[in-house]
Amino acid sequence: MNYLFHLLVYFEIYAIVALSLNLLIGYGGLLQIAHAAYYGVGAYAATLLWLNAGLGFFPGLLAGAATAALLSLLVSLPAWRFKGDYFVMISIAVQTLLYTVMYNWTSVTNGAFGISGIPRPELFGYNFVTTGSVSVLFAGIALVLAFILAILKWSPFGRALQAMRDDELAARSIGIPVEWLKLQAFAIASAMVGVAGGMYASYISYIDATSFSLDESILMLSMVIIGGTGNVRGPLVGAAVLILLPELLRFLALPDAVAANVRLLAYGLLLIIMMHVRPQGLAGTYRYQ
Amino acid sequence: MQILINGFLQGILFGAVGVAFALVYRTTKVFYIALGGVYALAPYFLLSALEFDVPLVVGIMLALALSMLISILAEETIHWPFERKRSPTEVHLIGSLGFYLVLVQVIALVWGNEIKVLKPGGDTTWELFGVILVKAQLFGPLLALSAVLLLFIWLTRANRGLELRALADNPILVALLGRNIRALRRWVFGLSGALVAVVALGQAWDVGFDPHVGLNTVLLGMVAMIIGGSTTFVGPLIGGILLGILRSQVVWYGSARWEDAATFVLLALFLFLRPQGIFGRKQRLEEAG
Repeated sequence: MNYLFHLLVYFEIYAIVALSLNLLIGYGGLLQIAHAAYYGVGAYAATLLWLNAGLGFFPGLLAGAATAALLSLLVSLPAWRFKGDYFVMISIAVQTLLYTVMYNWTSVTNGAFGISGIPRPELFGYNFVTTGSVSVLFAGIALVLAFILAILKWSPFGRALQAMRDDELAARSIGIPVEWLKLQAFAIASAMVGVAGGMYASYISYIDATSFSLDESILMLSMVIIGGTGNVRGPLVGAAVLILLPELLRFLALPDAVAANVRLLAYGLLLIIMMHVRPQGLAGTYRYQ
Repeated sequence: MQILINGFLQGILFGAVGVAFALVYRTTKVFYIALGGVYALAPYFLLSALEFDVPLVVGIMLALALSMLISILAEETIHWPFERKRSPTEVHLIGSLGFYLVLVQVIALVWGNEIKVLKPGGDTTWELFGVILVKAQLFGPLLALSAVLLLFIWLTRANRGLELRALADNPILVALLGRNIRALRRWVFGLSGALVAVVALGQAWDVGFDPHVGLNTVLLGMVAMIIGGSTTFVGPLIGGILLGILRSQVVWYGSARWEDAATFVLLALFLFLRPQGIFGRKQRLEEAG
């Protein structure tokens, strides 16, 4: 039972990750690769505030989200000028920069050793110690964020974002403030993934920079691409598939050393196959054209 | 002086990878991340060939030929089908990323994750005007440089080479003039794979290799291409040399840990101040695609 709760917690965290990334990729058409870096920024900011400033669980999460939103300027400002391949380059650069800082700023992040002893969530004096209780709390957070993102799709903001995705020049010509829109979209998505990062930190109770590397970003990207972009259920399917796939592979009883490789191999193959037969993903509505 | 020379030699390698990347990027507009997979794969071919007691020269030829084939395989299975569907660059990029994942994981499954070496033990050193050089360290860049020069001569003299350059300028016109685009694209991918394999073999001989060396190298190649300018073939080479010198200076005056950060700061500076690169012609963003 604990194992199922564990999977559920992971699903809730990755659901937020995938949904927030979908805001950029699916609604905005912005191929963001630095998402794991913002996940990490949220995790580190929240952790440091919990441990050093004695902040409560939710204030810490929010502070992490705010930090990630602020740092999202690193990608959103370049996004004013660069599109397509060059934007991808920029986001890889930001990913590498943030990762290097997380890995090397030893006095704050403890570098390669990571930070351990992160407290489990606590709310109104109640400690969420068991995996089951954490999964309930996280389900609440995930539902709220998913609801916000679902509303955003049909809001004027979401419509404007989708108009910009389909034709930036036309959107500009009818008076949509494209620059402001990109700024907002990146800030919202980064804040949400920052929350997910904080949740991850407090669940695992240990973080180090390697959980927020370029590989992790590629994983998040595959999640959204495989599940589908442009609506709410696509990313959820993607998160579910990418969490369940390793568990299914476990039944094949592969040795541990091989299992990780087989999993990544499967992601790679899935990416290629999806691009060939279903560019909008398993349950998505939007495809690049 | 020693640092300058080291950086210069390292830079030639980045430059050569940049040329290989630009070869594909200029002619087909494909953001060819899977090149990193080919880079990682090449030394393993040689390793296996040597295990079968094949003479070194034959082994190298074999590794180059197989790398070429793998690269052409990427074109046949991914980029050509996408091109026929007129898929946008993002789809090419994601497909290429998928192919990269597959290649790397296949390497890890077949040959294992650990670092391997080709060279048996020590090496002779030379001293030249007070600069100490290791044989393998000099050999790789020289080989790469001569391969690049050969490619340049071929591009400016041979019919095929001229056709390739025409393809870079205007693919539709080349097709209208009755040239076989498909064959040309195979050449592009094959040559790119072979060139990157030359670099990979040199580097593997010098410092050893593992399955994950590719992505970072190709990212550096991309940076070299953007710094040098992607509208010429010489640009990436010069860009790579500059990058190599910068990185070696950072290592000397700062710390090896900030190499990547410095690289991407340089990239950001170039993208903002001179997005067309050193040798680039100014283009409209729309024209650049």
